[in-house]
Amino acid sequence: MGGVVATLIQPDGTAVRIADAQKGESLMEAARRAGVAGILAECGGACSCATCHVFIDKLWFSKVGDPDQVEEEMLDMVDYIRRPTSRLSCQIRLHEGLSGLVAEVAPEL
Amino acid sequence: MGSTSGEATAEDMNDVQDAKLIAEGTLLDPFVHKHPRRFYAAMRRLDPVHYDKSIDMYLISRWEDIQAIQRDPLTFSVNKGYHEQQAKGFAEEFQQILREKGGGYFPDAIMSDPPYHTRVRKLMENAFTAHRVKELEPRIEAVVGGLIDEIADRGSMNAVTDFAQPLTIRIICEQLGLDWSIKDKIARWSTAVTAQIGRMQDRAEMLEHAAQICELQHHIIAAMREWQAQPREDMISDIVHAKEGDGEGSVLTFEEAVSLVRALLIAGNETTATALSNLVFILATQPEVLAKLQQSADDDKLMNRFVEELLRIEPPVRGLSRMTTRDVELGGKLLPQGAHLLLMYASANDEPEVFPEPRKFDMDRTNIMKHVSFGGGVHKCVGIALARMEIKVAARQLVRRLGNFRLAIDENAIAFLPTVATRTMESLPVTFERIG
Repeated sequence: MGGVVATLIQPDGTAVRIADAQKGESLMEAARRAGVAGILAECGGACSCATCHVFIDKLWFSKVGDPDQVEEEMLDMVDYIRRPTSRLSCQIRLHEGLSGLVAEVAPEL
Repeated sequence: MGSTSGEATAEDMNDVQDAKLIAEGTLLDPFVHKHPRRFYAAMRRLDPVHYDKSIDMYLISRWEDIQAIQRDPLTFSVNKGYHEQQAKGFAEEFQQILREKGGGYFPDAIMSDPPYHTRVRKLMENAFTAHRVKELEPRIEAVVGGLIDEIADRGSMNAVTDFAQPLTIRIICEQLGLDWSIKDKIARWSTAVTAQIGRMQDRAEMLEHAAQICELQHHIIAAMREWQAQPREDMISDIVHAKEGDGEGSVLTFEEAVSLVRALLIAGNETTATALSNLVFILATQPEVLAKLQQSADDDKLMNRFVEELLRIEPPVRGLSRMTTRDVELGGKLLPQGAHLLLMYASANDEPEVFPEPRKFDMDRTNIMKHVSFGGGVHKCVGIALARMEIKVAARQLVRRLGNFRLAIDENAIAFLPTVATRTMESLPVTFERIG
């Protein structure tokens, strides 16, 4: 049960610590449940809208990993706010190894 | 350079003309229906939340107000807005016909409000993820390739009936697992279903459309009963056997499932076909866009941007409805509870403050994803990835194999379907040359 902690920094600079993230759910789902501002996830987690965009903390990025091709194409559509550690949070499956994860919510489109 | 007073006069004249357009114009006016952009621009400038008395609806014309509505699905109800719009003027008779002759009246389960909507949407989503659609790409390539084989040597086609409609119908039949032999019926069924939110049918047309919808429902109910007993690898099975969690509400009721299969068959079909007709229109009227695509057909990222800009500049959906569930202020106007709204997507996409030079086809727009052609918020189009993929593959193959597209009809003679729901060309004759 549970076991994953994640911290998201909202667009206004305040941090939300999610203490009850579940293994197997996506970072987007955990963030939506916690009411994190800026995670809209309009397409519902289908990797189709780029409204759950986050910048992964540099220290965590290698553990989270690179986007696959489908996600890469969606991130390209928001190139003007993209950074090297950009990911769509709906595509990040949480597991114990990611407990402690820190990421910043990207600004709105 | 004109004199200052001269410019002011021209502007005043514009104001006068625009005010007149708003006072007298309505979405049902044939001229406005055909050339809505001037009307939209006048509304945005002078009366952004404009009451159109001929359809008894408030027309929402600004990007910001549409966004505010989409972000607040409880105040602005899709359930009430959509079902109020449905068969308006004949609603009781329409529902009665479906109950007596169509196997039942099934309200659209997806055209609902949270929290009910949240559950239904979740049960539909797995069928539509971008990754799932990516797996379909080779099949979509094959369908598009086959269609172009049929038309390539002809040198001319009606892009609506020879390309856009057959392409989307073939794909949706494959995806749902329905037999291709119903292709002619699907076009008729689509027209009938879309007309119910179009506000431009008379009673005789409603009766004819209702008969079509009865036939449609009998067809999908029979298929679903068969699939219920024997699951297959297709979207009807996905819907019939969808399950999220346990207990009450973890599966769809049969009534909900019928409404969703109907929505998949029709909603995605009609709008995607419209986008594909628009694609051919752009290729035939914007040679520099065509040239750029011909140079870059293998560049997935550029093609993605092309698709998004096509959708922004010519959104297939003209307007969808909401209804206020409380008194609320919007765009400086106080709306009473029960106000019926129509979101004018093409107007929002045309707003120069959001999209500079909005009539310019510009694939390099940084904020290209801000267009509202797929709606937004919890009701954002669920078929978004499939629609994009169909348009992208169609564009790629069209520009690789055909060239020199020209309209074979005067642009002003192009007629549009009589509906406020979509902006769909009835017919688009074009000529072209085979190049591959």
